[in-house]
Amino acid sequence: MSGQQQDPLSFEVVRPGASAPDEHGRRRVHPLTPFIQGVRWWPAGIALALTSTVQFKVTVGAGALLVALAVLLAITLMGTGWNYLAWQRLTFWFDADGDLRVDSGVLSRQERRLQLSRLQSVDVLQPLLARVAGLAELRVEVAGAGDSKVALQFLTLAEANSLRNEIVARSAGVRHDAEEAPENLLAAVPAGDLFLSLLMHAETFVLLLVTGLLIFVTLVTEGTIGLLLLATGGVPLFSIFTQFSRYYEFTVAESPDGLRLRHGLLQKTRQTVPPGRVQAVGFVQPFLWRRKGWVRVRLNVAGASTSAQGSGDQSYTENVLLPVAPWPVALAIVSRVLPGVDIMSIPLVPAPERSRRRAWIQWRQLAVGWDDQVFITRCGRITERWDVVPHARTQSVRVTQGPWQRSLGLASMHVDSTPGAVRISGHHRDADEARRFSQEQADRAARARATDRSLRWVAQQQLSAAASAVSDPANYPPPPMPVIAPVLGPLVSPVEADPVEPAEAGERD
Amino acid sequence: MDDTRTVDDAFAPADAAWTRVSPLLARAYRISLAVGTLIGVLVALGLALLPDVPLWLPVSVLAVDAVVTAWASWLIGRRVRSWGYAERADDLLVTSGIIMRRLVIVPYGRMQLVDLVAGPVHRWLGITTVQLHTAAATTDARIPGLTPAIAADLRDRLARRGEQRSAGL
Repeated sequence: MSGQQQDPLSFEVVRPGASAPDEHGRRRVHPLTPFIQGVRWWPAGIALALTSTVQFKVTVGAGALLVALAVLLAITLMGTGWNYLAWQRLTFWFDADGDLRVDSGVLSRQERRLQLSRLQSVDVLQPLLARVAGLAELRVEVAGAGDSKVALQFLTLAEANSLRNEIVARSAGVRHDAEEAPENLLAAVPAGDLFLSLLMHAETFVLLLVTGLLIFVTLVTEGTIGLLLLATGGVPLFSIFTQFSRYYEFTVAESPDGLRLRHGLLQKTRQTVPPGRVQAVGFVQPFLWRRKGWVRVRLNVAGASTSAQGSGDQSYTENVLLPVAPWPVALAIVSRVLPGVDIMSIPLVPAPERSRRRAWIQWRQLAVGWDDQVFITRCGRITERWDVVPHARTQSVRVTQGPWQRSLGLASMHVDSTPGAVRISGHHRDADEARRFSQEQADRAARARATDRSLRWVAQQQLSAAASAVSDPANYPPPPMPVIAPVLGPLVSPVEADPVEPAEAGERD
Repeated sequence: MDDTRTVDDAFAPADAAWTRVSPLLARAYRISLAVGTLIGVLVALGLALLPDVPLWLPVSVLAVDAVVTAWASWLIGRRVRSWGYAERADDLLVTSGIIMRRLVIVPYGRMQLVDLVAGPVHRWLGITTVQLHTAAATTDARIPGLTPAIAADLRDRLARRGEQRSAGL
């Protein structure tokens, strides 16, 4: 970043790539960190303050306020003190092998080494308070079971960005003092579309309708059902707000070191997903989005917030590639993640008609398909889902059958991917067919593994440097021409395809 | 005990050489079932001893307990025989289940760890579970009821093949 300008607050932090801060070449995070982290103790502090005013039986006036403030101050000071110790003991550096090392811990020490050749994603986050202070958090995830994630809190934004560049460059095996790779904006989600799309989420919409109805009933009968209103109205409004603030000003940009996602209203997030790290891609289309031709694109990325044990109950964060976009834009961007895959032209094999007795609503939608690179499943009637996994990323293949399915001679096949929102399941197939398809999928996966080169992505950068730069980033850019044509493929049945008719799509350019 | 068709062809394709697990596993299942039944009886007993509890409550708890026990013990033999695995050239097949049936195909190149696990009851009986992990949490490939020697051999074979075919992510 721009030279060696001295940050007025950083008396010890040295810019990455510059000279070392201590004799071992180890660096520290920003000295303001303990104070910003100290604020996190406030919820606990406020709760304790409230209870202590009750404890001391001072419930009125200035006395109560004084006790509460004193308790809060004490808690904050103690918290900050602890965070200061943690700050003092946290050092990070690049070792001789070029891997990122992080030593931390006050009582129990932790020495972690992140093998950057297994890098999955690098995120730069700016929580509200850190953002005010001009600081940022850097999150690095590598592939691996258990806790394979490191969060460096906090660095100056410029430092976080240059460290991000350094990590990405090292993982790609290019010179680590390389300049930040140039990027090329692919899409930006307009705030209005985002808001509307969140409003039109099926569950949200129904709950809001119920709320409206309840308000009406309350007005008519003059009864009190305030608590119920809080549940039916408050929950969807809260979810709309959180999602809106998370995905606000969502942009997708392409650069040689991967896709860059930026978003956030209060907390700014900047994610980098190196190419070849995407384990699976899923499209989701809630019922009310269909007329608009909108779709949400989600990703599975290895190592992303997997619970340590990886057993049945897994927690993950939804990795969103695009919170909402018209089909052609979504497909154009997915084609950057899965180069050479034409999702729309993959023939689908529907589930047998007798599956209607097991899945009354969605049976017509149930289908699986494959080409030489990916396996794809479709399901869901009210909220439609298309899930895509590259053969080279297939982990294992399963066939399952419950008693009800058994009585109908049906079985479900699953292609296991790393934990995430995208699950690839072909539900309610003919049992023999499910078995056969699973076997074939296992064979395809084996062949794809043998030839897969996508992990060495620097060598095969076919990212067109000349790709059309987007002139108007405030709106969805027109997708590259070749991608629009197949939109009417077998995935989109005629009804849903209306908004993206080929004629209309052709006019776009 | 000569019900050979324990698993449909769809869940145990005949083109693979299936290995079944030790019948000792049935004993382990029976022990856990007995413990479950005992807990049910104790709950019923406790309810019966409490004042103010109508008699039908402990009686119905006992009845449910008895029905579940009878049903589960009827299933145990078939459940044990439903477990099976087959080692093929490039992948391992695991099949199991009577009510919920499943077949898992795990490529050797995708295995990240192979664990041997044995709880106290299993250890006492001398059987072990081989647990496979891939990068997917949903893989769920475990083979219970193996004697320790077979389990250790299987683990070593799997680990070796996994190393030969390792494919990263």
